Amino acid sequence: MHGYFGGYALVGLLGLVGVGFVVVGLGVNRLLRPWKLTPEKLLTYESGVDPVGEGWAQTQVRYYVYAFLYVVFAVDAVFLFPWATVFALPGFGGLSLAEMFVFLGFLAVGLLYAWKKDVLAWV
Amino acid sequence: MRLIQSIDYAAIAPPVALGLTAVVVLVADLFLPPARRALATVISLAGSLVALGFAAWLPTQDARHTLCFPGGACSYAADHFTAFFQLLFLGALVVVLLLSLTSVAEESLPTGEFHFLLLSSVTGMLVLAASRDLLSLLVALEVVSLPAFVLVGLRRGDPRGSEAALKFFLFSVVSTGLTVYGMALVYGVTGTLQVDGIAAALAPVHAAGGAKSSLAAAAVVLVVVGFAFKVSAVPFHFWAPDTYQGAPVPVAAFLSTASKAAGFAGMLVLLLEAFRPYADVWGPVIAVLAALTMTVGNLVALRQWHIVRLLAWSTVAQAGYMLVPLGIATTAGGRGAAELHTAVQATLAYLGIYVVMNLGAFACVAAVVRHSPRAGVEDFRGLARRSPVLAVCFALFLTALAGLPPGVAGLFAKLVILRAAVHGHVAWLAVIAAANAVIGLAYYLRVAALLFDLSSDSAAAPAVSGPLVARRSRTVWAAVAVTALGTVALSVDPQLLLHAASTAAASLRHSVAP
Repeated sequence: MHGYFGGYALVGLLGLVGVGFVVVGLGVNRLLRPWKLTPEKLLTYESGVDPVGEGWAQTQVRYYVYAFLYVVFAVDAVFLFPWATVFALPGFGGLSLAEMFVFLGFLAVGLLYAWKKDVLAWV
Repeated sequence: MRLIQSIDYAAIAPPVALGLTAVVVLVADLFLPPARRALATVISLAGSLVALGFAAWLPTQDARHTLCFPGGACSYAADHFTAFFQLLFLGALVVVLLLSLTSVAEESLPTGEFHFLLLSSVTGMLVLAASRDLLSLLVALEVVSLPAFVLVGLRRGDPRGSEAALKFFLFSVVSTGLTVYGMALVYGVTGTLQVDGIAAALAPVHAAGGAKSSLAAAAVVLVVVGFAFKVSAVPFHFWAPDTYQGAPVPVAAFLSTASKAAGFAGMLVLLLEAFRPYADVWGPVIAVLAALTMTVGNLVALRQWHIVRLLAWSTVAQAGYMLVPLGIATTAGGRGAAELHTAVQATLAYLGIYVVMNLGAFACVAAVVRHSPRAGVEDFRGLARRSPVLAVCFALFLTALAGLPPGVAGLFAKLVILRAAVHGHVAWLAVIAAANAVIGLAYYLRVAALLFDLSSDSAAAPAVSGPLVARRSRTVWAAVAVTALGTVALSVDPQLLLHAASTAAASLRHSVAP
């Protein structure tokens, strides 16, 4: 277990132990447990409630667009915080103040686009 | 002490003008009634012409460098090389805008989004050509690619379009991943992201040899592979035919010209500036890629029945011709400054002529077919009877792509690359290029001959896809006319382009502010 590749051998060994643990655990369980199937048991388990309809169901992704908009403004905040700590220090000047508002202006265009496309209305 | 970078706004005027136009188009489209949607094209054209004006004005000045670092290296260079590519991109954009007016209306593509994405992509190209550090290059490359994926899949409810977009996306993501990996290794070896700094740091590494040099060589090859995807060089070309076929015709025209040229812009900056010390490594790689690309592209094009797929394979083959001059770095004699200058000049000249003639060919296809998924080569049989002018123009572009008179521009382009290859002592590559030019004749001339096949009556033509007639669209005709005039002008006076390519190639060697 020495040298450059020794560390990798250790990782590989740990992986083997992990796989062995799962295989032995499940295998022993399989051998020891009783095996009596009923239609009730073959149903899909849904927290105790009998499943209704098919597994292939369509769901409406109404949170999707909101998630997108959230990401836009979260990224915006990532840039705003470091900027807020330094923009008033000597050496930065009014230009760095203006630059941030240019950036915010571009983000506002995105919001304007979402608003005009009726994305912000809850459907 | 000033902590903020000073920016030379004149130098970055072309991308800024185009980027702002993109935003204006998007917002204007939101507030315009559907009947006035054509205004988006007008605004986009106006913005492109303003950007074109700036790009044409910049080379009349001294080279400008901006976004500089304290050491003197600059991330953005507005020199002749940049100007050459920016004018090429903006010219292609104008033609694509003319082509897309009817497509957008007929295929009910979202107008504002289409123009916004197109202009955004070209803005990325304008920055890409001027970038002189790895991060700027990478960000610009992504700005070029991301809108392009959406443009390809913009036709709603069309499974072929979605498939095309997905293939394009996956291939491009993998290629960008390889490029980033290569760039990370380059940074690891050299400790700098600046193109000039990399060249300076790589020279001693190469001279010293050993493990570090091997690592740098692997990095160089990885970066080359990433850009080979972009220019659709074999064996990284698989996305091209499916993507072009599934995309709206103007988008296919855009991808096959401007987008390919953008790949070459990035590749040339990296190979000739940053990786110059490793020319003995990338030289053979490029030479083999060139030979494979030409041969595979031409051979597969021989068996295509779909006009856009045929042109797609032809653009693959054409990318191979453009790589040929760079292959001269294989031999020690080809790695001299003068030889490499000639090589870059040849690639740029070929690229310039290729963009004009290929845009023309796609414009002719757009003038005849509405939907690219059903446009067989056979449908063009006897086009001369239905529209003689269009048939003559299409024949001009096809012969130019083949490199035959009357498309003398294409012949000239082929001669330039062969001359560069012979001067660089890679005769085998020149022989392969010449053989491929002959193979290319077969399929280009087959289509050109079909156009004038008046013997069979139109009833004999396959009626599977319905009668294809030339569209009465002034803007598409304008696009055909512009590209035809361009091809004729380049046929009459190719020296103009060769001179521009020579100045552009010359400015590639010093991008540090004095």
